Amino acid sequence: MGKKKKSASGPFKKGFLERFQSNLKNWEEDTLKKRVIDGELRPEFWTKHGQKEKIKPEFKSGSGEYTIKEIYTPLDMNDTDPIKQIGLPGSYPYTRGRDPLGYQALKIPLKFYSGYGSSETAKQRYKTLYDAGSRFILVAADLPTQIGYDSDSPTAAGEVGKVGIAFDTLADMERLFDWMPLDKVQTGTVGNCIGPWALSMFYLLGEKRGVDPSVMRVQLQNDPFKEYTGRGTYIFSPKIAMDLASDVVVHICKYLPNHWEPQYHCTTTLRWGGCSATQEVGFGIANLIAYIEAAQEKGVKPEVFAPRLNLHMTADMDLFEEVAKFRAARRLWAKIARERFGTDDPRITSLRITVYTGANRLIAQQPLTNIVRVTIQVLASMLGGAESITVPAYDEALALPTAESTRLAGLTPHILNDECMAGNTSDPLGGSYYVEWLTNKVEEDGRKWYDAVEAKGGALAAVESGYYLQQMADGMYEYQKEIERGERTIVGLNKFLVETDESIELFKFDYEAEKNQIERLRKIKIERDHATVEKCLSRLKQVAENKAAGKQDNIVMPMMEAVRAYATVGEIFGVLREIFGEYRLPLIV
Amino acid sequence: MGKIRVLIAKPGLDGHETGARLIARALRDAGMEVIYLGARQTPKMIVDSALQEGVDLIGLSILSGIHKEAASSVMRMLEENDATHISLVVGGIIPKADVPELKRMGVKGVFGPGTNTHQVVAFINELTGLSPK
Repeated sequence: MGKKKKSASGPFKKGFLERFQSNLKNWEEDTLKKRVIDGELRPEFWTKHGQKEKIKPEFKSGSGEYTIKEIYTPLDMNDTDPIKQIGLPGSYPYTRGRDPLGYQALKIPLKFYSGYGSSETAKQRYKTLYDAGSRFILVAADLPTQIGYDSDSPTAAGEVGKVGIAFDTLADMERLFDWMPLDKVQTGTVGNCIGPWALSMFYLLGEKRGVDPSVMRVQLQNDPFKEYTGRGTYIFSPKIAMDLASDVVVHICKYLPNHWEPQYHCTTTLRWGGCSATQEVGFGIANLIAYIEAAQEKGVKPEVFAPRLNLHMTADMDLFEEVAKFRAARRLWAKIARERFGTDDPRITSLRITVYTGANRLIAQQPLTNIVRVTIQVLASMLGGAESITVPAYDEALALPTAESTRLAGLTPHILNDECMAGNTSDPLGGSYYVEWLTNKVEEDGRKWYDAVEAKGGALAAVESGYYLQQMADGMYEYQKEIERGERTIVGLNKFLVETDESIELFKFDYEAEKNQIERLRKIKIERDHATVEKCLSRLKQVAENKAAGKQDNIVMPMMEAVRAYATVGEIFGVLREIFGEYRLPLIV
Repeated sequence: MGKIRVLIAKPGLDGHETGARLIARALRDAGMEVIYLGARQTPKMIVDSALQEGVDLIGLSILSGIHKEAASSVMRMLEENDATHISLVVGGIIPKADVPELKRMGVKGVFGPGTNTHQVVAFINELTGLSPK
């Protein structure tokens, strides 16, 4: 930190820094060390706190990695070349943004991630959100669906419709969206180990409704690493999951090249599970590289896939560190992508960052304080140049969110953009001594974590060995200890405590939903053409066997045929389980 | 007197293990013997392991809203196995309104997000009437 070496590429003229250095020294002697003089002007300050005392001995950055100085000055930007390092938005290395106009050209969508209870309740909520102006609906599937179990499976008992909607067959999809203009709304889902199935469900929904699937806008997260690093909704081994996920990428890049997003990588689980800001950057980039290379091995060129890819990050509480993180992530990506793929093609070197702000920092004790938290997280995302922001509801730490809290979350970016003018200019914090210094630090340390993963054999190996999980567990434990030692303050949790406000309204489950869903499933199973289902399932099994034997065979088309025949999610993944077996995550404490 | 033996598990299909891992580590650091089962455990798997390992206490971590079902199944199986000497505590996202019902089932303690790990340690020490070491 604060390198004193002179650099020809620094932003300041020769001699200026020497003059500034002596200026700073005078400030330290005359102003900083004599703050007691201030005290005479404000006796209430120094009689309480004594002279020259800071409130705490050390000021740390949010993820605890950096000790922050009293003040940042031109001296901290000495080796930061304003052209090469900072640059301009829309050009390499994209520190200041991927788009030259940033928010001035970005229509912020109203985004909600929801889908709770019975499909009737969820449908009603989607309609409400649509009427409120939302044109982006991210569908949450329940856990049995995400792990490939039918609603009537004993494993699913008690979980049907709990954290999302139950999808047993294509019929559930058709019923849920029978009202929605498919060409006007962007849809998507997060199920990460069921990517080929999710693709089939959305594609066939269009087909059934007479809408050309290629004009639909569908976003699939299809991000298996996320499931092995915190989210936990995995089925097969990481290697098999990667293979299935990249089949989706191949299929979409080939047949649905317009509006479909085949995959993106989400770092929220890493960070929420205990990783630091720099780990989020380094690990996230290593994971993205692995996805691009997996598709590349199957013949998809990076310049075809990379432009549809994005890094979906969290926004934590330290406003400036997070802004620096987003800027550093774009810059580090630009450099690594250039090295790795040997190109200056902006389709590859410019990284699109989207954000789901930090639901992990929401507290249950005084839930309304969370509104302030997410507001700042959204601000950090905007100032950092995130291109899409999804906001959690303030009551998420208590229970599944209500319609009201979900709506408030969706409005937050609009208030910041339209009323606070946060998006009036691109990268408004660019050139701030502090933010540029932090950006340099995060890039430098992010690179170290990226190198660490590469040294372990890359992202897949880091997932398989439990390296990520161990880093997360260590970080989380340390964070918790900091709170308990009082070194880290969370208002409402370890400062300004009151009895919990219980008056907020919580979402209520519909306990009939499971019964109704099982009944619907039973009906479909009777009505469908059994011979076709059998045929499709055995074809699917054949593909799985080919894969297990090491042959390349894309699973998407046979999967689609099975879904079209109303094979259930449990039947489809049951067949694959027979061949691939089931994975068990390493137990790391 | 032996160490307190605790089993930590996540019943159901939810795989968010961060809280469960954190508690397991904190209890271990407090000197308890911790058996960590991880996620995707059925009540039967949990109770079977608890009996086999001879634990004093079972801690369930639940975020997905299945706390009532999971706790009642575990309590029932403990009763069926004459093992009600094993205490059950639950942590995670549990609406306050559900706490009385969990307590009626026989759940000894319910810990929400943001709980201090020392509180949990102290609670378990008192509950089991054992010192941690």
